[in-house]
Amino acid sequence: MNDNLKNISMRDSFWSRLYDIAKKDRDVIILAADMGAPALDKFKRDLSSQFVNTGIAEQNTILIASGLTLGGKKVFAYAIAPFITLRCYEQIKVELAAMNIPVTLVGVGAGFSYDESGPTHHTLEDLSIMRTLPNITINNITDNVMATAFADISYKSTSPNYIRLDRELLPIIYKKGSDFSAGLTVLKESKDVYIVATGNMVHRALEVTEELKKHSLDVGLIDLYTFPINEKLFLEVVGKAKRIITLEEHILFGGLGSAVAEVLADNNKFIPIKRIGLNLRKGYCYKYGGRENIQSLYGLDKKNIIKTILSLK
Amino acid sequence: MSNKIEVLKKKAKYIRNQVLDMCVKAGTGHVTSSFSSTELLVALYYGGILKFDSKNPKWEGRDRFILSKGHASPLLYAVLADLGFFSGKELNKFCQADGIFGVHLQNDVPGVEITSGSLGQGFGVAAGLALAAKMNQKPYLTFVLLGDGECYEGSIWETAMFASHNQLNNLIALLDRNWLCATDFTEKILALEPMREKWKSFGWEVININGHSFEEILNALEQIHFRKNTKPLIIIADTVKGKGVPFMSNIPLWHSVAPKGEEAIRAKEELNKKENE
Repeated sequence: MNDNLKNISMRDSFWSRLYDIAKKDRDVIILAADMGAPALDKFKRDLSSQFVNTGIAEQNTILIASGLTLGGKKVFAYAIAPFITLRCYEQIKVELAAMNIPVTLVGVGAGFSYDESGPTHHTLEDLSIMRTLPNITINNITDNVMATAFADISYKSTSPNYIRLDRELLPIIYKKGSDFSAGLTVLKESKDVYIVATGNMVHRALEVTEELKKHSLDVGLIDLYTFPINEKLFLEVVGKAKRIITLEEHILFGGLGSAVAEVLADNNKFIPIKRIGLNLRKGYCYKYGGRENIQSLYGLDKKNIIKTILSLK
Repeated sequence: MSNKIEVLKKKAKYIRNQVLDMCVKAGTGHVTSSFSSTELLVALYYGGILKFDSKNPKWEGRDRFILSKGHASPLLYAVLADLGFFSGKELNKFCQADGIFGVHLQNDVPGVEITSGSLGQGFGVAAGLALAAKMNQKPYLTFVLLGDGECYEGSIWETAMFASHNQLNNLIALLDRNWLCATDFTEKILALEPMREKWKSFGWEVININGHSFEEILNALEQIHFRKNTKPLIIIADTVKGKGVPFMSNIPLWHSVAPKGEEAIRAKEELNKKENE
């Protein structure tokens, strides 16, 4: 199972599935802002009339996507994550959010994916800014099975949606055919403590929960991939927990941890929360030496996360 | 002068009066920005150029009209109300609690295609609509009205490049060149000229006209559905910001301001003097 998704990137998983969809529905259009992927080469070759390279011009890419959608097309706009969100943020606000135009944005490079590329290419603020906009759903993808599933979900979506992909080859943790419509998945149940993680940090959290067993700590794990949070389900799962730990490779202001805290506060749930994520008060990250090294400098490596959790009282 | 031109001139005067009345009542709205575009819009909607159905605003075969300078919304609202897209009573409720629209254009008003107010964006949406028509092999044209001030936005030139590269000859831009922004004349702020050469070098066919002359507007647009050219077309229309009311014309301070009290009365008088047409 999942053999065809092994050793390929999330973006190739996503675009391969979209290729099949686009072959049957000729209204499916990809706009790429000078961005490729091996799976897109096949798309360009076989479905050339459904692929438009818009050049390094993300603002115009959003506008063209919006016009095409108003003209009856189902559009996917693709670029490196910071450029398809921050660079064209106001176009996303006015066209996609204010008019509720169902374009799918596909951004590659979540968190420190582009580790060696520095802060221009790190994507650490997009969850915060995108989730403030009405009508838009954010889907922060965890593995290739989920990436494939969200090609279908995006295709059927009647509102705008942002697919946030990691660049790293991450392990597959979901079974083919898994249902992601709830927006979150409980990977491990617990009575007392839950880690709520998103994106690549779900994989880190799996390691951490295993390790914590050695300390006789039974810690649950929720993979939270869709924003806004499915409040009802989330509260059903964590409502009686004694502590929540959030984990994200994203800036703490406005990210996953903030979103979880908002849900709890708005529903009178007084559960202690520890937010683990990025504190950039000293400025952006100009450190190199690989993603693991960067993560360790910011306390997002396995050892540091365990230390943080064990220090909680 | 032909009867058609005479009818259009009367309509332009009527529409300007509607715009002035609704903005005076609301105490806000971009009067002068609407007045520079009045003949362009009246020619499109009443001159037999734009295909539309006021009883069926979403008619599939309609030409798309995008008002990229969304602050001129009173002008478009006055035209759409007059054509029966919605009740004329709505104009009296401009910016009121029980009204359906405010200062900047919104897409849920019958006959309006997009929300607009942040500049430099409607143009790209228009190009997307034109591309969709090409892909779907639909004959509709997409018209877009640009302000000259919004040509400072980089996204305008991203779209300009995209439209010519993709041979969107079904995209017709009208540039309201009224030479003014919110605070000053464009050539003093940051020179936009040479406009004609800029657009030509971006791969567009360029026609320069007097934007208040129905003869020149119709001459440029009457055969537009039969146009044979692979390039997108831009009509640079030389206009006067505040046209029709001399004391408000060409004065930056009148941007986004509706006249009040004595000035409102004076504006109305000047607008209806024969020599100010």
